[in-house]
Amino acid sequence: MIYPQKLNSKRNNLIVNLGLLIAIILIVINHFFKPYIPWAIIANSGIIYVWIILFYSIKKNINIAGHVLLQTIVLSILTVFIDYQLGFKLWSLDIIIPILIIIANITMFVLTIVSHKNFIKYAMYQLLISLFSILPIILYIENITHNKVMCIIASIISVLNLGLSLILCAKDLKETIIRKFHM
Amino acid sequence: MKKNKGKRLYWRRLDNSAKIFPISAGKKYSTVFRLSVVLKEKINQNVLKKAVIMALKQYKSFKVRMKSGFFWYYLEENQKSPIIEEEKDYPCQYINPKTNNNYLFKVTYFENKINIDIFHALTDGNSGSVFFKEIIYNYLELMYPEIFIEERRSRKINNTEYDTEDSYVKNYDRKAKSNASSKKAYILKGKKIKLGAVSAIHEIINLEDLKKESTKHGATITQYLTAVLIYSIYEANYKNNKSKKPIKVCIPVNLKKYFMSKTMSNFFSYITLVVNMKDRNMSTFEGILDFVKNDFKNMLKEEEIIKTMSANVKLGNNPFVRMIPLELKKLLVRLSYIEIRKYTTITFSNIGRFGIIGKYQDYIDYFLMLIAPESIEKIKCSSCSFENKMAFTFTSILDDNNIQKKFYNFLQENDIKVEIESNGVLDDISTKVK
Repeated sequence: MIYPQKLNSKRNNLIVNLGLLIAIILIVINHFFKPYIPWAIIANSGIIYVWIILFYSIKKNINIAGHVLLQTIVLSILTVFIDYQLGFKLWSLDIIIPILIIIANITMFVLTIVSHKNFIKYAMYQLLISLFSILPIILYIENITHNKVMCIIASIISVLNLGLSLILCAKDLKETIIRKFHM
Repeated sequence: MKKNKGKRLYWRRLDNSAKIFPISAGKKYSTVFRLSVVLKEKINQNVLKKAVIMALKQYKSFKVRMKSGFFWYYLEENQKSPIIEEEKDYPCQYINPKTNNNYLFKVTYFENKINIDIFHALTDGNSGSVFFKEIIYNYLELMYPEIFIEERRSRKINNTEYDTEDSYVKNYDRKAKSNASSKKAYILKGKKIKLGAVSAIHEIINLEDLKKESTKHGATITQYLTAVLIYSIYEANYKNNKSKKPIKVCIPVNLKKYFMSKTMSNFFSYITLVVNMKDRNMSTFEGILDFVKNDFKNMLKEEEIIKTMSANVKLGNNPFVRMIPLELKKLLVRLSYIEIRKYTTITFSNIGRFGIIGKYQDYIDYFLMLIAPESIEKIKCSSCSFENKMAFTFTSILDDNNIQKKFYNFLQENDIKVEIESNGVLDDISTKVK
């Protein structure tokens, strides 16, 4: 005999099924009790957020900078969605997104100082976070948001962060760009 | 492989052939092949792990993980240890890097057997067998250090040099024109096995008998087996389905036989036999064999091989193709692959003899090679030989084994001794074949 008797073929989707079940129950409850307030949609967007973070976190040895980027983007989308569901008073764009960008950049700033020798692992995420950090300025120029102070603070911190990365790890950034963009 | 200063990890571009595999591969189209060795004793997991780690020190081109760039994937040094497990999945399954410490190959074992499943983006069957042999040598040397003292020393001295150059780009002809057939192929008919199972049936053929029979017909072993395969498809699947499409057999060719190359990356091409079954004499084995012999002769000419290889290199080197972002490439390739795969009925890869050094042979029973079948090419065939045993393998997702049975019966009727081993997926049928 050269093969095991029972070969594995089934895949376990417990997390997806459990989340799906909770989501359906919430929609049903919302439908019968207080259907004029869409709270189930907001709760379900939280479940989707948990799914994304959970699936990403399940992977072994996740790159910490990747986590920072993912959390920044997913939380931004989540807060904009909740804001939209509650009448779109722009608090997500005015305050939350700039705060998320500030936190992301400070985290990357610390990460660069603490482990700049391993910066090549974080370089691509650093570039993407810097790219995402332009968002408050674009929103301000386009007159979508009006919180100038938060926008300026977020921009200054992201420029400082990118500047530090360039000073300490310019070679790593260049190397990353060569690898990622080779044709 | 490019080495960088300080703590930076090695990285290298994918070779021309490898570029397509990560773009097109997925759970249903794994592009994984397996090499197995059946030893004469049970496998020791800890020793096997040490043997793999030692082999990785020798062949660093395997100690890599796949990373995605903006235009192409690339390979980067992997600092993690390989995972060695007992076999529990079907052969040639998609290798999920996340559950495999990012490695693009997976070593498993079961009782007397060691398997290595290799993602084709990493290398081809020929170079894969070189790495696999290194693992086997290391394993036996670790198991029996006193017996293999001399062999170990001489292997260290005589270690052959290798590189990871893209031999396609080095050897292709810019002016060569494509010789690809534009006809769609006959697709094997039948129900698929449920639950994503893969059947593996190995026909262990007596090599001496096979040589005698193929020499009698003035054919090589590959030509003879290809003809038997086409005849079996015709009798067991084609005849009752009244198709007008030709049976097209794709046969990979090792390009190292044609060009000087020490690369451990992919360096293979293929020939495609287009057999119009409605043509005269094509319903007899003799007619098919004559056709196969003639076609092999024409297609294995160096200029024909260069034409096929060059067409693929030109596509990969096309500036327009290179400029398409990776995510868009994935989408386009996956869509076009649904059509492209309809141009082949079956693939048959013969990697030939596993040459094993002296004393090591005493511990080995035979070798196996398997290729992943997929939703359109539902059966794939492969073969390899060791001493007097040639293992011809059918990996299939078809819920019947009429072709395998026909193949087996044909060899038996022609006085070629055959034994059957299988993974038991089509158990009732495979036991009937016995």
